Amino acid sequence: MLDTVREISTPELIELRVHCAGPVPRALAWLLDTLIRAGIFALANIALGFVGHIGGGIMLILYFGLEWLYPVFFEVLGGGATPGKRALGLYVLHQDGSPVGWGASLTRNLLRTVDFLPFLYTLGLISMLLTSEFRRIGDLVAGTIVAYRIDPTPLPEVPAAPAWRPRIPLTRPLQQAVLAYAERAPRLSPERAEELAEIAPQLTAGAQGRTAVERLYGLARVLTGQAR
Amino acid sequence: MKQEQFEAHFGARWVAFETWLARERLPARARAKQAKPFAANEAPARYREICGQLALARSRDYGPALVGRLHQLAQAGHDKLYGTPGGWLHAWLRFLGGGFAQQVRAKKNVVFAAMLLFYGTYLLLALAVRIWPDFAFVVLPQEQLRQFDQMYGPHTDTLGRARDAGDDVTMFGYYIFNNIGIGFRTFASGVIFGLGTLISLVYNGVFFGVVEAHVINLGYAERFYSFVAGHSAFELTAIALCGAAGLELGWALIAPGDRPRGMALREAGQGVVGIVAGAAAMLLIAAAIEAFWSPRQFEPLLKYAVGILNWLLVGAYFLFAGRRNAAR
Repeated sequence: MLDTVREISTPELIELRVHCAGPVPRALAWLLDTLIRAGIFALANIALGFVGHIGGGIMLILYFGLEWLYPVFFEVLGGGATPGKRALGLYVLHQDGSPVGWGASLTRNLLRTVDFLPFLYTLGLISMLLTSEFRRIGDLVAGTIVAYRIDPTPLPEVPAAPAWRPRIPLTRPLQQAVLAYAERAPRLSPERAEELAEIAPQLTAGAQGRTAVERLYGLARVLTGQAR
Repeated sequence: MKQEQFEAHFGARWVAFETWLARERLPARARAKQAKPFAANEAPARYREICGQLALARSRDYGPALVGRLHQLAQAGHDKLYGTPGGWLHAWLRFLGGGFAQQVRAKKNVVFAAMLLFYGTYLLLALAVRIWPDFAFVVLPQEQLRQFDQMYGPHTDTLGRARDAGDDVTMFGYYIFNNIGIGFRTFASGVIFGLGTLISLVYNGVFFGVVEAHVINLGYAERFYSFVAGHSAFELTAIALCGAAGLELGWALIAPGDRPRGMALREAGQGVVGIVAGAAAMLLIAAAIEAFWSPRQFEPLLKYAVGILNWLLVGAYFLFAGRRNAAR
């Protein structure tokens, strides 16, 4: 395993790519959620101070809800993410790629009790390090994965450039590399873009500097059909 | 077909699908104000079309940005199509109306095992303390036992509460927080090869058994039973059910059968999590009874009658509920 991307086949026989999240962002998300919960609890404590003796009972119920049900409700009704996970761009999903449901979310959150043992998620961390998708025990029982939500980026335009065709045959990985370069290069500094373009002299007929970049753009436009 | 033509040909349909997805994310009222890009029944077909286009774009080596966009559309469509449907409150009530009992009956072996462990140690210890009263002090610390003298003794006007305990609402909150928490932990700790659940069931059995026999030895039987009668059916059954769910997890690890342990554990989890949720609902009912009904000093006979009625209700529920729609 070289990276953390998992491919999940859907019933339509396409592969969804899921980027599994490791222990560090998940620990941060948990920390954030803990702070949020503590904040809610503190605010409610102040507010319920005015209701008198009934307040104590309501506080206990609130505490119960924050401890056990807060993650479940947010995960199922909030697109797979508690506020902490959302802040770190994480979400929970079933291992078959579908959004997490009530049963799985409840299971994985009840099993936090075990993951937490003997202190501060030690068992959970060991389990994450031993499994290929960074799954704590709760994830193993519930059949869930925590992954990064990749936000859609606007389609980058390949900059205008005169059409260019190199003399060597273009293999598929080579075509992919040229397209990826042409989409990324406008966001790089000009010097870096030129440096990268000069790595492939066989594609640009040994051009240097700006010309090399232009020729790769031109080649990309030929590949996508924007130039003939 | 070159990428340029591909985008020009299908781009409008992707935008329509994007608009539909954005509209579906809106709350119902705001959604009604926006025009639909296409009829709702077209959505699955359009989603499959995008799946096909994603597969094409990948196989034709179109640029990563285009593939990324199609992948994002396909994933969002997939989440929309295969996600949890709304109306969760209704679904939950329907589950309590029958599905819960069905699931418990489906796991009856492990439910009987948990009941045997829990009620077995309960009766054993109760018997032991009735025969040798001093045995209570071997099992539980004196301080704790003295607290029970106080709770069920003739000096209090609310049954079953230590003198410094709070009012009804506070106790309601406490029972929810404490008892449902115990139920959840009893279940979760089952994943340690069933050991945690085993310890929890035996511990609770011992505790209840010793306390009951000790209080009877002191001669407070009537006050004790008139307190516990009302909520015992819901509370004890729910703890046994949480234990059953935990044992099922542990058993999946010990004897996974012809499946890998991970798969066995997952299937066990899926089979019993509903039982745990149902047991939590039962503990909620028990907490309400224990906080608002049990401490009242009504005629003991009335309270016994309510207690027996509750046991009959719980028994009847698990025997009969959900039979009509059950798989035969």
